[in-house]
Parts: sequence; C-alpha cells; structure tokens
Amino acid sequence: MNERVKPVYLEEKLEEIRADGHQDFRSKSLPTWCPGCGYFSMAEGLTFALNRLGLDHKDVVVVSGIGCASRFPFFVSSYGFHTLHGRVLPVATGVKIGNDALTVVAVGGDGDAFAIGGGHIPHAARRNVDMTYLVFDNGIYGLTKGQASPTSALGFKTSSTPYENGDVPLNPLMMLLSYGASWVGQAYAGHQHQLADLITEAMAHKGFSFLRVLSPCVTFDKTDNTYGNLNMMVRTLPDDHDSSDKMAAMAQAMQADHPATGVYYQEQRPTLHQVMNATNDRAEGPGAAKTK
Amino acid sequence: MMNKAGTDIQIAICGSAGDGTIASGDIMKRAAALMGYNVIAFDEYPPEIRGFGKCISRIRISSKQAYSLKEQSDVLISLNDSHAIPHAREVRDFGAVIYDDNLVSAVAEGGHMSAHINAAQVPYGFAIRQMSEQATNAARARNIVVLGYLAGLYDLPPEHFREIIKAKFAKKPQAVIDDNTKAFDAGLVAGQAVFKLDDVVVGAAGDEATGSKAVMMTGNGAVVRGFMEAEIQSYFGYPITPATSIMERLAVEMPPKGGNFLQTEDEISAIAAAIGAGYTGSRAATATSGPGLALMAEMLGLGVMAEVPVVVVVSQRGGPSTGLPTKTEQSDLNLAVFGGSGDAQRIVLAPTNVEGCYRCAGMAFDIAETYQTPVILLIDLYLSNRYETVVPSDEASFAPKPRIDVVADENAPYKRFAFTENHISPRALPGQAGLMHTITGLEHNELGRPNDAIHMDMSTKRHEKLNSAVHFPGLNVSKRFGDEGPVDVGILGWGSSFGEVLETMYEAQAEGIRCAAMKVVMLSPLPIEALKEFFADCREILVPELNYEGQFASLVSGALGKPVTRLNRATGSPMVVNEILEEVRRLSGQNQTPLSAAE
Repeated sequence: MNERVKPVYLEEKLEEIRADGHQDFRSKSLPTWCPGCGYFSMAEGLTFALNRLGLDHKDVVVVSGIGCASRFPFFVSSYGFHTLHGRVLPVATGVKIGNDALTVVAVGGDGDAFAIGGGHIPHAARRNVDMTYLVFDNGIYGLTKGQASPTSALGFKTSSTPYENGDVPLNPLMMLLSYGASWVGQAYAGHQHQLADLITEAMAHKGFSFLRVLSPCVTFDKTDNTYGNLNMMVRTLPDDHDSSDKMAAMAQAMQADHPATGVYYQEQRPTLHQVMNATNDRAEGPGAAKTK
Repeated sequence: MMNKAGTDIQIAICGSAGDGTIASGDIMKRAAALMGYNVIAFDEYPPEIRGFGKCISRIRISSKQAYSLKEQSDVLISLNDSHAIPHAREVRDFGAVIYDDNLVSAVAEGGHMSAHINAAQVPYGFAIRQMSEQATNAARARNIVVLGYLAGLYDLPPEHFREIIKAKFAKKPQAVIDDNTKAFDAGLVAGQAVFKLDDVVVGAAGDEATGSKAVMMTGNGAVVRGFMEAEIQSYFGYPITPATSIMERLAVEMPPKGGNFLQTEDEISAIAAAIGAGYTGSRAATATSGPGLALMAEMLGLGVMAEVPVVVVVSQRGGPSTGLPTKTEQSDLNLAVFGGSGDAQRIVLAPTNVEGCYRCAGMAFDIAETYQTPVILLIDLYLSNRYETVVPSDEASFAPKPRIDVVADENAPYKRFAFTENHISPRALPGQAGLMHTITGLEHNELGRPNDAIHMDMSTKRHEKLNSAVHFPGLNVSKRFGDEGPVDVGILGWGSSFGEVLETMYEAQAEGIRCAAMKVVMLSPLPIEALKEFFADCREILVPELNYEGQFASLVSGALGKPVTRLNRATGSPMVVNEILEEVRRLSGQNQTPLSAAE
C-alpha cells in the first residue's frame, strides 16, 4: 500500500529553509536580474556553499567585474568589491595577497571573463591564486541589452550580429585546462543541487578553482542557450572520468556541443601565497640578496 | 673648480656602450660622496643594451648645495672619441679634456679628439689603453685608469676611490679588485706627474658639505627607501623605463621583510591588484611611466570612486605613445591630474629633487590612507636616474600609525561612505565583524548601495575631503625662494626642472634682478592660497617646464585666472639655466614685449 504523501505547507518549508542557515548569506538587497534568470540559482548555490563550508560572513570577500553577473556582491551578505569591466581577477588577486585569511570568490559573466578580461585569466590560473572564479556563461551581453559575446554560438543572431554571428566561440574549459588552472569544473544553472555541490567543491579546493556555469539569458536569447535546449544538450561527466587526467579532461572539454557537468580536472600544487612565503624565506636565508 | 668660494666641478665621462662609462661615473660619484661633497649626477645611455651607442655620465661635485647639472662641464673624459668629440664644446674655457693620445688603430682625419679641442681648453692626452694593458693585461680597465688620472690631476684623495673600487667588485674574485686597483694607481701616478693649471685643484669639502652622513641615491632609489621606511606591504609592478628600477629594487628588499612582491601581467593588473590589496588595509603601491599610467587611468577612477588608498609612482619619459623611452620629459601632468573618466580628483605630488622623492614616497601611504584615495607621485626620468647626496633626517618616521578601528553598531547598518564634517568616512576593513559592506565603482549611497540620485552630494564629499590635503602635517606642498615682497619676475617651477629654476633665480639675483622662485609640489589639489600670494607679489610670472604644451602653466593659469609666460622645452634633455635666465632678463626689462594674447 502506498504511503500517503504529506502535503507541503509554505510556512513549514520556509521554516525549514531558514533553519538551514544559508539564507543568512543573502543580503537585504533584491537581485536586479530578470525573472527566470539562471543567475538566481547561482546566488542560491553560492550562499548554500558558504553556509556548508561554515564560513564566517566577515571573512568572505566577493569580488566582481561589470555585467549582469557582476551585480552579485550586492546580493551576498559578506564583504564585496564591485570593480571594473574585465578586472575582477587582478583585483581579487590583490585582495587575497593583501589578506590571505580572507576567502575570495571572484564572479563575472562571459564577456567580463573571456572578452575584456581574457588577458588576466592565464596569470591568475598559472599563479594558482587561492580563490574561486565563478563564470556565469550565458553567451550574451545582457546588461547592454543583447550583443554577441566570445562564447556566442556561430550563426547566433543578436543586436550586434544581425546577420548571424560569424566568429567561432571560445572553449573556456580548454583555455583554463591549458592555462594550468588547478581545478576546472562545469555546472548548469538548471541543475541547481549539482551546481551548489560544485560551487562547494570549487571553494573547498586549495588553489585557483574555475567553475563555468552554463546559464540561459531568458530575455535576450530565445533561440540558443534556452532552458529547453540546454536541458537536452547538457550531460554529466562519465562515472569513470578521472579528474587527475588532464588529457581525459581535455577530451571531454572538446565536446562543446554536448557540454558535460562535473569536475573536469584537479591537482594540488603550491598556491601563490605559499610560493611568496617560500620566496621570502629564501630571501631571509643564507645567500639572500643584499638589502642595503 | 676650486676658487675662494669652494669647490664646484662637473666631470663628463663619455664612451661607447661596453666601455664601462657608466661604471666609471658611478665610482667617481660615490668616491666624491665619500669625500663629503654634494653630488648631483645624471647618466644618459641608449635604449639598446649593446650596439655601441653613446653613454655619457655627468657628475657635479660641489661643497655647496647644487640644484642642477651645469650646462658646461669642467672636465671631459673620452673613452671613445667618435662619441665624445661632439661634447668637446661643452667643456668651459680652461677646462680639461682627457683623452687617449696613443691610439693603436688608424683614425680618419678629424676622428681624433686632439683635433677638436679649442685653444682655450687644456688638453690632457695620455696613453690610456696602453696603461690599462700594462697594469692588467687587458684594455678593459681604461675606465679605471682615467679615474686615477683624474684623482692625480685634481689631488683627490685616492683612498676613497680604492675603497669604492673594492666595494664595487666585492663579489668578484680578488684578482679583479687587484687589477682595477693597479689600473687606478697607474693612472694616479700619471695624473700627479702632469703640469696643472692653477685652478685645476679641488679644495676640501668645506663646512657646508654634507659630511659622512650623506647617502648617495637616485630618485628611484629614494622612492624605494621611502617606501621601505613606510613599511610597504604589497607591491605590484610591470617593467617600463624609467620606473623599472623601483620594481627591481623592491623585488630585492621586500621579501626579507615578509612583503608581498608580484610582477603582474600588465599595468592594469598592477594597479588593480594594488587597489585590491589597499582595500584590505595593506600598504600597496605600483610604479610606471606615462604609457602605463594611461592604462591605469580607469582603475584610478575606481580608486577615487570606491575610496580605496593606493600609491602610484609615475616616472615620466618623452611621449606621446612609446615616444622617447630613455629621454626625460614632464608631459604626463595632464594625465596624472585629470586622466580618467568623470570628475575624479586625486592627490598628485611632484617632488623636485632626490630628497623630495624620499620624503614624498615615505608620506604617500599616510596621505592615501588619510584621504582614502589614490596618491600619484609624479617624477620623471631625469629625477628617477639622477644621483644626489641626501642626508636622511633622523626624526622622520613614515611607519604606519595605529589604525582607529570602526566600532560596529548593532542597531544601525555600517555606513562605509557616511557623510561627515570633514567628508572622510570611517573605513572598515574586510575581516572585521559586523561591518560588512560592498564597495563599487557605481555611484552609491552612504551604505555603498548603487544610487544615482545622490551623485551631487557624493561628488561634493569626494572633492571636499581633499581640501585639507594642502595642509597635511609635515608636507611642504609649495615653497618660495629668493627675494621677499614684490619682485619683477617670479619663476614658477615643478618636478625635476625646479633645480634649474632655482639656479637661474640665484644667477638673476646676482645680476641685480629682483626675482623669486616658487616650487609647487602638490599639483592636485593645488595650493591656491600660496599661489595667489606669489602671483600678487610678482609683476611677471615665468613657467619653465619640459614639455611642448606648457601643461603646468595651463593648470596654474587656469586655476588662478591669471596670465603667465611659458618656457617650454621638449628636447628629451633637462632644462637649461641660460635659456631661463635669458627669459628672466627679458621679462625684468622695462620695455619688454607684451604677453602673448593666447596666455
């Protein structure tokens, strides 16, 4: 005999959510995103991760660039720095260097990351700055009302590509893998629980972690990265994927038409802070450079 | 030269890249500093590392304070005649020209120095190469032989040279020190033996000399020293002439003190990271030149808007674009004072000498932290690379003062950008409990939340808070020299070229011209009151500067609504005293031509 399903009452559900604690990491500002935007599940995912990792609000700094995604710091109850278009990584690097005790989360969209900010990514990755970089990739410029981005698909019609986009899109995962990022993963805004788990994992990683989050722009993209299309295209990484195998990670990343979610690659190596400390130790030791 | 008033001698050493010209000049200036003289020195060299370009090192040694190099040198030493010949004419009458008169290879007619020394100059030819080879079995020590010769000729105490040679080659095998000392001694004996004119004897350092406490440093070295004494914590840099040596020096000095040093991928990330570190309360800085500052302009605006302290050193070179990378110019004033979008007033300090570099760099963090805004230190190649003896002050302390922590109020949200009487808001740092906030480049309200309606009030706050900067304790933002009260001509100067301005003023005074000079160290905000007083006292105002447009003249003239006479020089080399003096003479005359309408 089937058990009777207990109806869920809104009040009870809200209490359950409040008791969980992750809502405390939301600020009192209401997000400015369009209803249905994939970025809501990212706000949910990040607050979930901050809560699960047991972090203190005062020790977290969310740094962002400019764009829809970059409004993020205002919606999180922590320290925040909303910087300039494309410059999230160097500012976040400075924050981490300035105070290593802080947990630094860098946030931005695909234009902020791969167009104007593309030159900074290899250096944050190779230096292994101990921070998490979340790129909310919807393949379009939303805040300026719908122009093509470096991850827009070929043939995509936008206000800046009225006769179809002719530029081959970048493959962000391949970029980050070859740049030497020590943690590379991909998530999908439509798979909210997995997204929250992956943000948690990315933040738990010691070193530079890069998580690309595929997200629909419900306002300016009615044809391409829609929930409907992404639901059909997105798969999870095979169970036997070895995340210590960079070649296997690249083979998966090359299948851009059927993007897989999960942890592509991870390795442990000294962070920028550890490297700097080692340098400073060498400088103090015998044979140190003269200081006068 | 030696006369009753004391010693004042300028030596020019000229050779080809690889001759050891700069090294020779380096030993000369350090030895002179050790003797207790005031030293001011400047090297010119080609942008190429090799390739036989011309190197010239000029060293002025004096018992009184000198403010600039002299137009005419007292001694020219040639290590390469083809490069040095054009400089024979910069040697004064009865000045000495030291050259090799025993060349081993054939020289084209007119290719030898001896053909270019005029009748009034004193030729001192001797077998430099041969002497070097006899002493060391190599021609490489020619640059040391000539120093020995110079010391012999001018009765300079040789032990100071030997000490500097020993220190300079301390990391090399003992044989290198021995060879160079032998080369020096060989030159010394030769120099002592030659006939001397009466006035080619250098007097003792004298009472007004610096004494042994003086330290020889360049402008860039002084910036580094100021930074280190201010306990700089984070430095981010990208190589660019002529600021690179600041980065290189800090790369050596910061790590042993536990500092954070990082070479970034470009100038944008350098200032971005410095602002990021500054946001956390770390004393953070970067250094660049004009092209780098152009890239940093947007980030400077963020520093102004988000009220984050950061220190940016800008050593100017010839521009625009890549311009004249190894030549000096003062043409980034507009960029430093105004560069960027919007109304983004920042603090700009332009020290006028090496000691000023040290003091401004030492105080820059304190100023940036007090006003929570970017501070630019605007110098140029001529100041970055020139050597001066500096007597460090014992009482100056640039170490951070204890922070006044913001106290969280449980009943009210923390207002990062609160309106206050002095327009400065209490600043909390990430990591402090109960004071969480987000800063942004968007216009924002007192809480830091995006808000357009408050733009006028916030613009007022950001500008008004800087007003008291001109009275910042311990900082001389302007200074008047010369005659008190009303004068005929006032010379207004800034940055590296103020040395020539001051020398000119003293010469004009000696000619009986009623004259005053004023240096302006704070270019933004301008010390308006001091400038008004100066303008009121001066019948004519002359503004000499090393750029084509007269950027400082425009700044001051615009701020005061008063006309000035410009003297612009864009040749890549420092200002010339005689050019300013001529203009001062013209302006002081009773029947001078009217000021140009354009001013």
